[in-house]
Amino acid sequence: MDDQAEKEMSTSSGSWLGRLWRTIAVPLAAVLLAMLIGAILLAISGADPIKAYSALFDGAFGSMKAFGRTLAKATPLIFSGLAVAFAFKAGLFNIGAQGQLLFGALVSAVAGFMIHGLPPFLHATLALLIGASAGALYAAIPGALKAYTGAHEVITTIMLNYVAINITDYFADGPFKDTTGGNIVARTPEILDSARIPTIGNIPLGFVLAVLAAVVVWWLLWHTTLGFEIRTVGLSPHAAKYAGMKVAFTVILTMVISGFLAGAGGAIETQGIVGRYQPGFNAGLGFDGITIALLGKTHPFGIIPAALLIGAMKAGASTMQFDAGVAKEITDVIQALMLFFVTADMIVRKLIHARDDGGEKITLSGWGQQ
Amino acid sequence: MKKFYVLFAVLAIVALALSACGPAEAPATEAPAEAAPAAEEAPAVEEAPAATEAPAEEEAPVVATDDDNCADEAVLCVGLVTDVGEIDDKSFNQSAWEGVQQAADEYGAFTKYVETKDAKDYASNIALFAEKDYDIIVTVGFAMGDATIAAAGEYPEIDFIGVDQGQWGGEVANVAGLIFPEDKAGFLAGALAAQLSETGTIAAVLGTDLVPPVVAFKEGYEAGARYINPDINLISTYHPGGMDVAFVDPEWGATTAKQAIDQGADVVFGAGGKTGNGALIEVASSDGVYCIGVDSDQWETVPEAHPCLVSSAMKLITPGVFDLITASVNGEFPAGNYFGATGLAPFHDFDSAIPQEVKDKLNEIDAGLQDGSITTGYGG
Repeated sequence: MDDQAEKEMSTSSGSWLGRLWRTIAVPLAAVLLAMLIGAILLAISGADPIKAYSALFDGAFGSMKAFGRTLAKATPLIFSGLAVAFAFKAGLFNIGAQGQLLFGALVSAVAGFMIHGLPPFLHATLALLIGASAGALYAAIPGALKAYTGAHEVITTIMLNYVAINITDYFADGPFKDTTGGNIVARTPEILDSARIPTIGNIPLGFVLAVLAAVVVWWLLWHTTLGFEIRTVGLSPHAAKYAGMKVAFTVILTMVISGFLAGAGGAIETQGIVGRYQPGFNAGLGFDGITIALLGKTHPFGIIPAALLIGAMKAGASTMQFDAGVAKEITDVIQALMLFFVTADMIVRKLIHARDDGGEKITLSGWGQQ
Repeated sequence: MKKFYVLFAVLAIVALALSACGPAEAPATEAPAEAAPAAEEAPAVEEAPAATEAPAEEEAPVVATDDDNCADEAVLCVGLVTDVGEIDDKSFNQSAWEGVQQAADEYGAFTKYVETKDAKDYASNIALFAEKDYDIIVTVGFAMGDATIAAAGEYPEIDFIGVDQGQWGGEVANVAGLIFPEDKAGFLAGALAAQLSETGTIAAVLGTDLVPPVVAFKEGYEAGARYINPDINLISTYHPGGMDVAFVDPEWGATTAKQAIDQGADVVFGAGGKTGNGALIEVASSDGVYCIGVDSDQWETVPEAHPCLVSSAMKLITPGVFDLITASVNGEFPAGNYFGATGLAPFHDFDSAIPQEVKDKLNEIDAGLQDGSITTGYGG
């Protein structure tokens, strides 16, 4: 766009279209730049980028089945993206979404196979809520550590991820191990049909729940007193304190809600896709949430398209390798480049002559500021 | 100051991303380069058997250059789905793929692989081949067992070869599980290690105990070492992480090997994909410490380990896969468990350094394991 057009955009900053453009310009350019560099890398490695990308697209959207797979892949990513973005709003960097998601996945599986005699809808809802609550409880630990001791959540949540991996592995290989049919694999028994979250046609019901969760998070953040407090704490904990807000309480509650979202993502993965808890089946879903939160500008409605994009790359990667003979890791490279360009947005702004979008900054409170 | 924290946070994410998918990056640049020639080679080698052997057959096999005609009786298509990991893992995925390549040479088969990145994709990756009417699909890894059985039910006309997939829950007519008595290979490795050790302390750096074959290697190794020296000091360490990292963490393998050496170990057995390879490479930089590889002859696959690598506890996956493909081609596909061979790899450069009595002892133990006079005590 030329300078004239840009000036018009900025003078009409009142129009929602202009604001929308300024918000999505950088992520959009970051995605395109990442795809472009990916294409160059593909060409250097001797592959045909167009063939590779069209196979990727085909594997993600080529049929209703493929589209359903994309939605299924995007579902846990929306939840973990929401979890990370929600914490961002209070200035908290929840790197522990992975661990909270694992607990959600494990506990909902346990509720799914241990509780008998409930009608389908009730059982599925109960298992989902129990799983999400497990994630919430687990996130309360770094929240409380931050609120009362000032221990930085980046450090504690990273550490707690490893704790979560080992605890869930232990339960899947110990007390809750599936022993049916001489099984020796570390995994829980299959959940009952009544605990399953169905896929209707090719549309996983979990995806619908994820979109609903995004709406609820948006409403909570911008249309409730709690949301206002959370955002105020995020912008300035000191100002929030002087305004009479309970900062410590808000920090813990934010982490609890963030963990609830991550846990729900894990629970839906168990109840909708895997059908049991098995170590290794939820790898990376929580970490991808960080990429998605940043790519979606930490806005609930930005997270949905960001998760769909990453989900599509995950769903299409196998077809890309099958049809075009391209190593799948290229999708990781593209994803990493997107993250790079979104976070190092100065580069992208220079390239597309976009102005700083003013608001919606991701602010993180520093070490021991509380 | 805020900017600084954001910058720190970004660095933290990048560091995480790098550590989480560390092994994924190298292949991103390497793999296409390696995969491309492999794909190009295939048609070239296919022509050779077609030209030389075809006249002997009753009808000339059709040389397939793509998989559009796999449904055709005369076209043999063999597909392979890796476990979570890469085709060039210098371990079981690669060994299985080499068996498939051998079949391509021998029978003019069209071959292709898909790497699994997410364990939830096992079924959809198998379906990519099945929907193209491949004749044989090789699925690599214990974890893919259920998905393989399910696919076999859905596509009864396709033969499935499941590497490391014991068929204990009953036989399925079109599934052969290629399995190995890993404990016997481990027993030989342990017996070798105990005879070479001067400090009386030996170590094993292992992938996760969530995977039974790894446990079998470890138990066999320890039993073999105790068979030689009942008082031997054993330092066996499993990777503490989950399935997603246990086999792709060479840094952990190296650190763990280093710790074992610091505690006096002078032989280290590295068993666990790239994690184990990391241990071997670490040992190579320590004087007077031997290392033993796993799965394949790692002299060929991990040249960095040459200074310490005396042998490897091998599962002969490549011939096992090839034999099963051959059986399928000949219409004699065996359902159920199919036991492949195990053994120690050649000593290579260490051949002259290993005393004859050690070699004799190993041969004696091998014979004992074969005829059942020696048991590893693993499994039952």
